Amino acid sequence: MLTAMLRDLRAHPGRVAMTLAAIALGVATTVAAWMVGDSASTTLAAHAVRADVGVTVQQTGDTRLPERLRQRLAGRPGVTGATGISTGRAGLVGRDGKLVPSPTVPDRAGTNWTAARMRPAAGRAPARAGEVAVDAGLARTAGLRVGDRVRIVLGDGRLDRPTVTGLFRYRPLGATGWDTTPAVAYATATAAHRLRPGYDRIELTTATGADPRDVARDARDVARGYHVRVATGPEIAAAARAQVRSDVWDLRLTLLPFAAVALLVGAFVIANTFTMLMAQRVRQIGLFRAVGARAGQVRRAVLSEAAVLALIGATLGALIGVALAPAVVTLAGPEAAEVTYTGAPAGIALGYLVAVPVTLLAAYGTSRRASRVPPMAALRPVPAEARTVTRRRGAIGSGLLAVALAVTVATLRPDGANPPRIAALCGIVIGVAGVLLLTPALAAVVLRPFGRLAGRVGPAARLAVRGAARDPRRTAGTAGAITIGIGLICAFATVAATFEQLIGATTRATVPSATTVVRPAAGGDARLTPADLRTAARTPGVTASAAARDAIITVAHGPDTSIQKVTAIEPRALGTVLTPRATAGRADLRRGVLIARSLRDTLDLRLGDTLTLPLDPHAPVRVRVAGVYEATEASAGVYVDAALAPPSLRRSIAAVYVAGPDPASVRDRVRAAFRDRPDVAVSGREAVIAEQVTAQRFGFLVIYAMFGLSVLVAAFGMVNTLTLSVTERAREIAVLRALGATPRLVRRWIRLESTLIALLGAVLGATVGVTGGAVLQHAMLVQPLTAARIPYATTAITLAGAVVVATLAAALPSHTATRPRPERPT
Amino acid sequence: MANRQGPPAARARGLTKVYGAGASRVAALDGVDVDFDRGRFTAIMGASGSGKSTLLHCMAGLDRPTGGRAWIGDAELTVLSDTALTTLRRDRVGFVFQDFNLLPTLTALENITLPFDLAGRRPDPAAVSRVVDAVGLGDRLGHRPGELSGGQRQRVACARALVTEPDVIFADEPTGALDSRNSAGLMRVLRHGVDAFGRTVVMVTHDPAAAAYADRALFLADGRIVDELAAPTADGVLDRVRALEEAPC
Repeated sequence: MLTAMLRDLRAHPGRVAMTLAAIALGVATTVAAWMVGDSASTTLAAHAVRADVGVTVQQTGDTRLPERLRQRLAGRPGVTGATGISTGRAGLVGRDGKLVPSPTVPDRAGTNWTAARMRPAAGRAPARAGEVAVDAGLARTAGLRVGDRVRIVLGDGRLDRPTVTGLFRYRPLGATGWDTTPAVAYATATAAHRLRPGYDRIELTTATGADPRDVARDARDVARGYHVRVATGPEIAAAARAQVRSDVWDLRLTLLPFAAVALLVGAFVIANTFTMLMAQRVRQIGLFRAVGARAGQVRRAVLSEAAVLALIGATLGALIGVALAPAVVTLAGPEAAEVTYTGAPAGIALGYLVAVPVTLLAAYGTSRRASRVPPMAALRPVPAEARTVTRRRGAIGSGLLAVALAVTVATLRPDGANPPRIAALCGIVIGVAGVLLLTPALAAVVLRPFGRLAGRVGPAARLAVRGAARDPRRTAGTAGAITIGIGLICAFATVAATFEQLIGATTRATVPSATTVVRPAAGGDARLTPADLRTAARTPGVTASAAARDAIITVAHGPDTSIQKVTAIEPRALGTVLTPRATAGRADLRRGVLIARSLRDTLDLRLGDTLTLPLDPHAPVRVRVAGVYEATEASAGVYVDAALAPPSLRRSIAAVYVAGPDPASVRDRVRAAFRDRPDVAVSGREAVIAEQVTAQRFGFLVIYAMFGLSVLVAAFGMVNTLTLSVTERAREIAVLRALGATPRLVRRWIRLESTLIALLGAVLGATVGVTGGAVLQHAMLVQPLTAARIPYATTAITLAGAVVVATLAAALPSHTATRPRPERPT
Repeated sequence: MANRQGPPAARARGLTKVYGAGASRVAALDGVDVDFDRGRFTAIMGASGSGKSTLLHCMAGLDRPTGGRAWIGDAELTVLSDTALTTLRRDRVGFVFQDFNLLPTLTALENITLPFDLAGRRPDPAAVSRVVDAVGLGDRLGHRPGELSGGQRQRVACARALVTEPDVIFADEPTGALDSRNSAGLMRVLRHGVDAFGRTVVMVTHDPAAAAYADRALFLADGRIVDELAAPTADGVLDRVRALEEAPC
């Protein structure tokens, strides 16, 4: 029996190709995702560990280790050498006068050349002042070569103009927190002048036979007067490996959802295609059943067919995935050239492991329907199932919708805790199920009044409306797939529109347009210095200034904690250069802290409650909640008086805000003051918002990828279901043709009916999608329901697109149906 | 020779099949009692809508009656589960339909041995070749149905019906799509099955020439058996049919 069915597939190459493509897509994404993760892991592991360091002594806090400590450590038993590593601010300026973008924070981008850490890629190490070596990757980005003169911005705004004597590739210590990749390296003596004097860490090489742990203990003793942490090489290597593993898992977890969505789309397409394949084989299945194939045998044959297709598709997908992995890595960045690609066998195995169950699951419904085909189907077309809208379906549908509404109302208040958010998400799914069950009833109610109206338009229109209205089950079945696809599009469009508006919302509300913002050009974790604050504040025309210092810490209220961004700023800033809108209490940092509404909801706080802020991890401060302000999840959770911050945090300025009676002139003057500082950006709030949007780029990427896949699902669903609905009515059409309906009439009828059904499904889908999207953003972004922005433009385009696709989708089967058919034997 | 003793190959008591409800209620079968003896060829005749095809489908286990009981041998169809009924059809019943008998993607030989494939058993090569010789298809076994003529396709269907040595062979208008020469050839094959192999054949037909090959002809009208003719001839059958049509309803 399986032989017959497999041979039969050759008669439907298009459908088979679609199924294989769907499976291949899902498998390719899975294999690529796995391989990228595995390759990243292997490559990073190969680069990671330096074997030459026995013990590392690193300063904590913001101190420096002096040369005399290095000399003392060098003389300790078991130590064969002590190398001092200094780090300091250095920003490489490109040919365009702007900072060259580098993955390393400028504060630690400069270092001294040590042979153990630098692998020369070109030229030689710097030997005296006026010479510098540059990271090879950065040099390539900036278009620098050995012999070029470069500009480097040092701490406090000094500009250095050395010549590039060499390029290097860095060998990091491994674990983050212990080491960062520098951008430029000076000779050690030069570094003491250009960067800060003293060392950031001292690396000790131990004698063979000496136990690093003993040396470490001894070093800790020697460095007792300083704030340091000491670790052995093996300890750091282990931490590095753990870090790599954790990073790789993060990468995998980021990529695998794409694979999951691709598989879901694949499953949808497979289910759809199989339904259509089965619909054209009903007579044959009936004959099998008549001659003695049991229902179970039919079901197993369909599933076996699906499994064979799954294996073929998975093989294709594996090949594509293996080729795709390098492409994905290239997207990630220019470092891609040095990646070793591994993980192919495991990835391919995963692909097969995933393809077969997913395909079987997708084909399961069809296999059960096939097994229920009665033997009578061989003799004559089986009478259609009861087409009347059963009351039970309507009742269940209404019930589900009511439950969904109740859940949404119950979780209306934005709450950061997970259970209400998950409940809201479940509410969406339940609501969609309810709407789908109610669609037949809706179709009947909406379409029937149009019947008489349509009659006046013409016979094709009358046939179209009656056809859709009198068989609400079939109409709903066709429209349902369209509803799901369009719904997905509109839901993700709503989330994207809301997200986009959200990102700038707080900045717009908090930073007045008149304020000038001075911040590091490198972005990210780069910081300004108190000298920069003084420069900005002393600019003529500036009457108000303040500096924001940011830290991400765990805020505690009793036993409850929450990780928040805390901004320490001068109290005089609120109300002058910054204007966060207090919805409760007062925005007065002298009375206590100003917290975001989302934090209040998460920790269930009231005015006057006490919070513990570990701004200094050794000396947490307790503060009172003085006010609540309107903010989004992405912005500052707490504003606190800068006086409460430890000195190290006070010196690390994230942004300086200044204002004056003439905003335009203030901005020009501040810009002029920082003219020679390519590492500093001066702007108004719009530039800050633009940067925030870019930072969320990945989040948008994910949303738009989902969006794109939804479009695919919608298109597939529409084409398949419309084609199916026309094929199922081949006899009807044949009778009409025999009675005298011209081919043109029949084609118009089919086009109109398809368009009508598609419109019904699309409008329903848009409604469900926008509503679902509003609840989705409420759950995902912890915003009130009303914060949702309706994407009018996208919705309109989608509806129009649905109508166009429906018309096109109906064109092919309607032409096939009205083509004069040659007599086929058997 | 054919065995006419023993229990009937198939029988029905009070068989009823009703479609629809209320004003649209239609009784396709209205309490039919009938016995089909072993080794006999029975023709069932009647006007369109008389219920003859419905009777065949219910007796063959293809359709479920709404009332009454039916047996194949000693197995009561009406109490069997779908799986058991299917197994019964596979092992103990043969079918020849008017058209669409064969699976288009299988060769003639594969179509003939299909019941064995479904059962997972290997067919006895001697039995297969005996049946193939009986229907006269030796040289066409490797061809697909699309490459065979109408008459040849019906003979393949006959071969499939004979190869499992079933209790009953049900044929539903087997000559309906054939010309007179092929019809005669097909009828001779069925007759040969009864005479040489001792099979029981129940055939629904409206063709008097085909009915003449049967041992007995039953006449249905309005869902009931109204007349019977032993050793029918084509003319005799025509007369009976005309008499039925003229009778007041």
